[in-house]
Amino acid sequence: MKITRTKSFRTFIDPVWGENPINIQMLGICSALAVTVQMKTAMVMGLSMTFVVSFSNLIISLMRNAIPRNIRIIVELAVIATLVILTDEFLRAYYYDISKQLSVFVGLIITNCIVLGRAEAFALSNPPHLAFIDGLGNGAGYGLVLITVSFIREFLGSGNLFGVRIIPEAFYAAGYEDMGFMLLAPAAFIIIGLLIWLQKSVIED
Amino acid sequence: MSDYMKSLLFAGILCIACSSLLTAAASGLKKIQQENLLTDQRKNILKSVGLVEQDKEYTSGDINRMFHDSIRRVNIDEKGNLIEENQTAGGDSEKNLPVYLYQKNGGAVQAYIIPINTRGLWGEILGYLAIKNDGQTISGFTVYKHSETPGLGGEIEQNWFQSNFIGKKITGPSGEFVSISIAKGKAEDTVGEEKMGNYVDGISGATLTGKFLSKGLKDVLSGYEPVSIIFRKKLQFCKTNPNTPWCKK
Amino acid sequence: MENLINIFLDSVFVGNILLAYFLGMCSFVAVSKNINTATGLGFAVIFVLTITAPVNWLIYSYLLSPGALKWAGFPEIDLSYMKFIMFIAVIAAIVQALEILIDRFSAALYAGLGVFLPLIAVNCAILGTSLFMVERNYTFVESVVFGFGSGVGWMLAIVSMAAIRMKLRYADLPKGLEGYGITMIVTGLMAMAFMLFSGITM
Repeated sequence: MKITRTKSFRTFIDPVWGENPINIQMLGICSALAVTVQMKTAMVMGLSMTFVVSFSNLIISLMRNAIPRNIRIIVELAVIATLVILTDEFLRAYYYDISKQLSVFVGLIITNCIVLGRAEAFALSNPPHLAFIDGLGNGAGYGLVLITVSFIREFLGSGNLFGVRIIPEAFYAAGYEDMGFMLLAPAAFIIIGLLIWLQKSVIED
Repeated sequence: MSDYMKSLLFAGILCIACSSLLTAAASGLKKIQQENLLTDQRKNILKSVGLVEQDKEYTSGDINRMFHDSIRRVNIDEKGNLIEENQTAGGDSEKNLPVYLYQKNGGAVQAYIIPINTRGLWGEILGYLAIKNDGQTISGFTVYKHSETPGLGGEIEQNWFQSNFIGKKITGPSGEFVSISIAKGKAEDTVGEEKMGNYVDGISGATLTGKFLSKGLKDVLSGYEPVSIIFRKKLQFCKTNPNTPWCKK
Repeated sequence: MENLINIFLDSVFVGNILLAYFLGMCSFVAVSKNINTATGLGFAVIFVLTITAPVNWLIYSYLLSPGALKWAGFPEIDLSYMKFIMFIAVIAAIVQALEILIDRFSAALYAGLGVFLPLIAVNCAILGTSLFMVERNYTFVESVVFGFGSGVGWMLAIVSMAAIRMKLRYADLPKGLEGYGITMIVTGLMAMAFMLFSGITM
């Protein structure tokens, strides 16, 4: 069977485009705003989210038959929070410099609607291996939007990509100026709105 | 077992499991985390007086050695009097303010370093401000912990922002305390000529971070004014108090 | 008193939890479709925030912060790593209580809010408010005012958005922009407007 037809592949690829968490499912927007000023932070956040969603999906899927219906939300929250805090504690001990950058995101990841949303919508009713892949897919879709938005914001807002100057000095000398507005939060809202428009129009066709 | 009991049991087990995991991690790793933090703080104290460079790698052994060679910590109360190692400040022991003295090989004090702890936009900002032994001129500023937006307020941890502080003064033309503030945008565009020595360039798009930092610096520095005044009037002070660490030759 | 007014005005305008700190976006985008539900949700959020901020303050001050347990004879214990989990548990419990209350007193509102009522528990604005309160070392009274103010700010944003979306129904939008897309763009414009508050010193 072609790999693109397996259930696993579909589970991975759907959330990257057609069911993208930010653009289509409307989840995870809060964090997409503060971290997309620079591509480097966007990438770190995207990778961290992918890690958290995949593993929380895995753990919750493993427990899915034991969780009582009426307390399931708090159980999911407890699992997610514990996972994130454990990771943060571990990083602060063994990878201190990286943890300094990530500590800001800890709160943002715990309450990120994507993690809880996927746990509710997928992990509770699917086997562990599929839940893990769904986590990877949603993380990838989320990361993709983050990278796109941060590419636009960093490039237009500061002339850099990943901190490396891209727009040559000659342009600045000739009168080109960075679009400072791109660095501010409202720009992120507007860019995401435009990306949604783009994606929905493409999907329609 | 009824549904209700099942929920209670599950909740109970989950609570115990999560709390045990978190507590085990937090207490088990605490010592290493605190060492990491201490080394980072020491590195920043050394950085504020120019003893370590931004992009070089240092082992914790190097940092601790350099720290012990050149930096000495003393505690003062709010009047600027030294507190001996075993005493506590008269009355409220929370008024114990630490000051780090930069003494090359234990000699005369070149600069004094003040720990900065202020509120930022998203969380607290921790850093160090080093002032030369004239009690007025800033010799360095570092930030080692903050939660500001990366690329905007987060620029306070970058070299370009911090190096602007070097050479600025915390006193005005008549020697009165004015603190150091962060301008809105470029200082030369928004601040009058006579005030340029007390302002550094702001970060565009991070007005609020700048405002919080300015206020925080002012509050902290006011608390340390008694020490700064000693350094400004050093000659007179040392005539009457030659044995204090400030006056060591 | 002046300080409390400052905190209140700050949390509604300059530091609006939604337009300046971008917390609480998910339910904001989804519920602003209908102005009645938006108002109901706004009031619910104010209620939850005004209660959870001081309750979490008590829990943090007397149980979790370093040295908090000195009344029980354990001054060295530092449980602050538990704050995320404890705050979320408190928030979930209060939201559950709120759900029961609304069901008892207004079946219409309960039906209108639907799934968004339990979703308040995971609204990042609620947890964010409690975390900020800890970060900024507010006193008990300040935390009540801060919770209330943040709620008012959030409600201000969602009701304004609902009103704007009502007007937008008469606009001729491209198909791909309808609903979600235009909401994001309008939020961007609102955020820009709220940024002008950052220049105000009180």
